[in-house]
Amino acid sequence: MLNYTLRRLFTVIPILLVLIIFSFYLMRLAPGGPFTSERPLPAAVMANVLERYGLDEPLHVQLWTYIKNIVFHFDFGPSFSQKDRTVNDVIAQGFPVTLTYGFWSAVFVLVCGVPLGVIAALRHNSFWDYTMTGLAIFSQIFPNFVLAPLMVLLFTLSWGLLPGGGWNGGQWQYVIMPAVALGTSYMAGVARLTRGSMLEVLGSPFIRTARAKGLPERTIIIRHALKPALLPTLTYMGPVFVYMITGSVFIDVFFSTGGIGQDFIDGAYSRDYSILLGLAILYSVLTFTLTLLLDLLYAWIDPKVRSNM
Amino acid sequence: MEARKRLNSRAFADDAAEEMVTSRSFWADARLRFFRNRMAVFSLFMLFCLFLFALFGHLLAQWNYEEIDWSVLGKVKTEGGPSLSNGHYFGVDELGRDLYARVVQGTRTSLLVGFVAGPAAVILGAILGALSGYFGGRLDQTVLGFYTIWISIPYIIFFVVWQAFFGRSLGQMILVIILVNWTAGLLIVRGQVMMLKNREFVDAARLLGMSDMAIIFKHLMPNILWVIVIYTSLVIPEVIMAESLVSFLGVGIQEPNTSWGALISEGARTMTFGTTWQLMFPAMFFVIAQVSLFYIGDGLRDALDPKER
Repeated sequence: MLNYTLRRLFTVIPILLVLIIFSFYLMRLAPGGPFTSERPLPAAVMANVLERYGLDEPLHVQLWTYIKNIVFHFDFGPSFSQKDRTVNDVIAQGFPVTLTYGFWSAVFVLVCGVPLGVIAALRHNSFWDYTMTGLAIFSQIFPNFVLAPLMVLLFTLSWGLLPGGGWNGGQWQYVIMPAVALGTSYMAGVARLTRGSMLEVLGSPFIRTARAKGLPERTIIIRHALKPALLPTLTYMGPVFVYMITGSVFIDVFFSTGGIGQDFIDGAYSRDYSILLGLAILYSVLTFTLTLLLDLLYAWIDPKVRSNM
Repeated sequence: MEARKRLNSRAFADDAAEEMVTSRSFWADARLRFFRNRMAVFSLFMLFCLFLFALFGHLLAQWNYEEIDWSVLGKVKTEGGPSLSNGHYFGVDELGRDLYARVVQGTRTSLLVGFVAGPAAVILGAILGALSGYFGGRLDQTVLGFYTIWISIPYIIFFVVWQAFFGRSLGQMILVIILVNWTAGLLIVRGQVMMLKNREFVDAARLLGMSDMAIIFKHLMPNILWVIVIYTSLVIPEVIMAESLVSFLGVGIQEPNTSWGALISEGARTMTFGTTWQLMFPAMFFVIAQVSLFYIGDGLRDALDPKER
């Protein structure tokens, strides 16, 4: 197990390197830069600015300095567009926000999705089942960028129940809509998947055996059926995390939560190399970590996988 | 002798001819099954209407999408709503432009992106998958390694970085969507090719001296066309959604061109002023397209997938 974890961690390093080098050259080779504007700076000023940020050196030297700073000092460099802020500052300010509602969103996905799926499976072909399936299709069709405005329209503009944006230090009223808007379509996906695998498990011989032993229905479902039924759901959570990170960019922009997504988009507008690259690295590391954690969790639950490690 | 007489008889020939007429090819069979699915046929009809709308909708418009209606500008909230009398069927947008004409324009863009980039991405993935499945070895490992890295990068990063640095034209948008989605369908095509490449008809083709490429594209590809069709039907709505998401974030389609996502984003921004039609009409079109594509994909899967029969 430890061996496996270490091996996985080591494969992440070359992937990250490739990502850094690729994005680095992609950004630098494209025309325009953070200091090109409609009124060009005088040549002398431009030279000074470039020297100040080390942009006058050859590309591979810049790349080397960049990687060195990250590895030895954990320093992602200064922001080019926001004066007096480093990328580390940007991350330190925005990341906790994104992480907070991301966490609650994941909780929402699991806490609502799994029971919905289980209920639908237990009441197979009933009213609840059809409602659930309908709901799942519905929320897959309404992606978060359609859902979020509609939610604001209803809950903020019409009924005035929840604030339509902002963060306010993460008070619960401000967390609900971002978390729900981010999670709804994945919640539906989880519910659908759980329903399917639960139906399959409930039809298998060992459940019949448990029934024949005379175990109470609740024990059968919770102790015997749930664990194998949740395995496909867990595998599904990997891509879900990747897409949630994508979605969080949208949520940050739409709800003005002050998370890193806003900085990412702003960085793209102002061609702020360091912010874009720093946040891209952060997003990727986050993805890799979550996927690894998920795989370990998977191994912990499923003995078959564990023995293959 | 008796048998030969029977085979040569007129009646047998007629029977055989009859059978030839009534026996159906795989595709004819699938078509029949698809058209028996009412929801799918209705969705196909809706999609057809959307295409007609995109192609000929501007003929019905009383306004050009660039024209500003000065008579309602400044009083958009009170007089800019949908009305038949002043020719703004869907109302006007924030700048006093006819929303109907804008929606026609947006529908055109979104459908164009979806139906060009989606199939192109799947075909690219299918070709790579077929090559790596057929040749195996080093090529296979490289493609699979690339695949693993690719799916673990949140696509928004790639999208934003690329769009920020290479401009945001429609062509770039289609190109980057193909680059992001090439992984769709790769694994399954690879699996199918690996399964089929040891079959007798492939050996026969090889004995006849066909080149590897001819075998892949003339003999294997037609056999896995159904996989490609199914995956294309799944990828197109995803592509439309991705395009809309990045346009919503403001890093996609640029003014004066527009797309569903860009229109929804405008509507979401202005709905606080009470001009909800600016959100509702684009969102409605987006949802209709997504629902139709969902059911068409569902119908295609039922019709084509041998497992579903």
